[in-house]
Amino acid sequence: MRLRVTALAGLLTLTLATVAACSAAKGGASPASSQTPGTGGTLVVGMTSTDLPNADTVLNGQGFEGKRFVGFQLYEGLTRYDLSKPEGVAPLTGALATSWTHSDDARTWTFELRQGVKFHDGTPFDADAVIANYDRYTKKGDPHATAALQAAAGEYAGSFASYRKIDDHHVEIVTKTPNGHLPDDVAHLYIASPTAFGKETPVGTGPFRFGSLVPGQRLELLPYKEHWRGAPKLDKLVLRPIPDPAARLAALRSGEVNWIEYPTPDDVTALKDGGFQVPTNGYDHLWYWILDTTKKPWSDVRVRRAANYAIDRESLARDLLRGTADPAYQAAPRATAAYDPAGDVYSHDPAKAKALLAEAGVPDGFETTVVVPTAGSGNLLPVPIAESLQRDLAQVGIKVTIKTIEWGTLLGQEASGKVPFGADAIAQSTTLFQSEALLPLFLGTDSPFWTGHYSNRKVDELLAKAAASPEQATRSASYREALGLVTQDAPWLFVVNDRNPRALSPQVKGLVQPQSWFLDLTTVTVTK
Amino acid sequence: MGRFLMGRVLLAVPTLLGVSLVVFVTVKLIPGDPVTALLGPSASAASRAELTARLGLDAPLPEQYVRWLGHALTGDLGVSIARQVPVVDVLGAALGNTVILALAAFVPVVVGGALLGAAGAAFPGRWPGRLCDGLATLAISAPQYAVALLLVAFVAVGTGALPPGGMYDAADPGGPGDLALHLVLPATAAALVPMGLTARMFRTAMAGLLDGEMVEHLRARGLPERVVLRHAAHNAAPALLTIGGLQLAYLVEGVVFVETIFSWPGLGQLLFTALSQRDLPVIQGGVLVVAVAFVGINLLVDAAHGLIDPRVRR
Repeated sequence: MRLRVTALAGLLTLTLATVAACSAAKGGASPASSQTPGTGGTLVVGMTSTDLPNADTVLNGQGFEGKRFVGFQLYEGLTRYDLSKPEGVAPLTGALATSWTHSDDARTWTFELRQGVKFHDGTPFDADAVIANYDRYTKKGDPHATAALQAAAGEYAGSFASYRKIDDHHVEIVTKTPNGHLPDDVAHLYIASPTAFGKETPVGTGPFRFGSLVPGQRLELLPYKEHWRGAPKLDKLVLRPIPDPAARLAALRSGEVNWIEYPTPDDVTALKDGGFQVPTNGYDHLWYWILDTTKKPWSDVRVRRAANYAIDRESLARDLLRGTADPAYQAAPRATAAYDPAGDVYSHDPAKAKALLAEAGVPDGFETTVVVPTAGSGNLLPVPIAESLQRDLAQVGIKVTIKTIEWGTLLGQEASGKVPFGADAIAQSTTLFQSEALLPLFLGTDSPFWTGHYSNRKVDELLAKAAASPEQATRSASYREALGLVTQDAPWLFVVNDRNPRALSPQVKGLVQPQSWFLDLTTVTVTK
Repeated sequence: MGRFLMGRVLLAVPTLLGVSLVVFVTVKLIPGDPVTALLGPSASAASRAELTARLGLDAPLPEQYVRWLGHALTGDLGVSIARQVPVVDVLGAALGNTVILALAAFVPVVVGGALLGAAGAAFPGRWPGRLCDGLATLAISAPQYAVALLLVAFVAVGTGALPPGGMYDAADPGGPGDLALHLVLPATAAALVPMGLTARMFRTAMAGLLDGEMVEHLRARGLPERVVLRHAAHNAAPALLTIGGLQLAYLVEGVVFVETIFSWPGLGQLLFTALSQRDLPVIQGGVLVVAVAFVGINLLVDAAHGLIDPRVRR
């Protein structure tokens, strides 16, 4: 079915392009209808997710789109990402805590809480609220918790050994082992009003408060006028799930929504010509193949490097992805602290690839199989990208058989450490550092996922050292060194870093697209 | 009539039991495991074991089935893994939306199908008949997905006259009028194939009657052709009912493409989503609801059939 969907989606793209050309005089979409002059307007976002994110605190995070539009808008943790600038990786700053200190062993952290903050329902925020939320996230048998909630929170609170209220404005967290990225972790552990636990209406301290919800259809958020950073400019923020790319595009073009996530690369030029804005920026994203480093001939590092020299990433990023992605010449995504321009080693060099294959004893190449998901969050155009790589690799004698699989099935297999069809590689995308707490899932000998059995003890040590250090500079340096080794070991075929494209109607103003998965929507307005 | 109905209802019970068993076993065969889906890959073995026990997944399959069926009978279909809300709530909302769409599409299916079919049978080999036959065939052969896309591209985006998707205006939801506007395109796309099928089948039924002895007898008595046609249509009505019932069942369960293209938050879209998320409780509940709806609609059709055609009751 999905194949048919993909094939026919092309038909709509063509048709829409024709219609757009015919109605170019319209100059894009008509504004969302409920606009009152002189105000911030109504922003209607068409999300890629199949359903509205759960608004109950940490349950909205799948694929990060839920955090972007719901979690980080309704709630705040003790810290937050400063998403106000397009340049540089979005840094961490205070949210419900104004400052924090740590013991020398980086296990005991003390947070000073922001004073005068009130939840959307008027309940004052204090240390008791923090403790109540952390109890709900971590304490066995907490009356307001569920297994799913604690599992989701566990990704970020997993390092907690204990926590306590020092006084009304200070809390202390002690971690099991030194945890240098604790301030990053607590950004994801939202603090909800304890008065709202178990209630239908979510209550946080974020810049937007809950308005209304029609399950499966629309979630309406309203500006929280008393927010400590000042009121957001919008009058209303409406979220709609529109998983089908063609339907999303149609919704934008007809003015039903004025913002869509991930327009397909083929539509980008036509959208720009039609007066729509298509902001992009680098963020922590890598599209790659995981190679089975225990299977011959991929077990030979020279073969893996050869493949990395054989592929033409520039053409792929320019022609197939229409500039919505950057070529990835190394393991570390561009928009991360681990990225070092000097680490960009894999240029397009088929001659070098052939020489390396000859050196490894496979001068005539070999046959291999890769499993490719047909779709999936962050996977861009998985099958066309894989086919492009297949053509490049064939040039140096590596004959690739592509086996497609539904994304949910692939993910389920990978999560249990397996690879479908007994294949030699998996194509997919990932984030690495957006949440440092999640990094061990994707990289390292002990990853519970299928990682192609890649193991380098030096990399493990460096990652552990980075994670234990509270100093950002030390962490960045260790991550850089570790990812430099990964680049050399080439357990992956590094392909592209996505640039996070979204399409906005000309009426949407004030968006700053940061180098992050997340967005600050407080500066956005929609003009008439 | 009472005995006839009772018989039908009693027959539905083993059918539904069989359906529930098939649903339960089939869903168990889908790759992917709910504990991983719920806890994520980084969960410890202890918490996995604990949740497996709590969900009753460590019990033997027959025991799991009986427990699930028991809960289902009391209206408890479990909690959605992806949404963390009761499955019944999720399904209820989606089923309601699908029924709205199906009923809206059902009107052109029956009215259009009957008119096209009757005209095809009444004027065989002449241009009105050929035109209607052609239209019916076109409706059947037009791929639902492509028709939906073309409607979105040309009618919604091209003219801006009708919304491209959703049930209500996103920025400013309105009342029934707003809903009606949003229904036009998806209902049209959903109606075409079943309307064509209804027309073809109704035409065959009518043609059979028009060639039969009854009509010959009516004509021999000198009745005007208009009256003859009316009698024929009356006698073909049970066939229309059967066909229409089947098409309604088809609409309730079979509009996945239309719901996807038009972002219609119905059962088809919900099941598609649940499958991709491995939300097993929702898949189980959803398939069960669809199956029950199918059996239920057929039961209603049988009852109506019995009501208008005494021969069936014997």
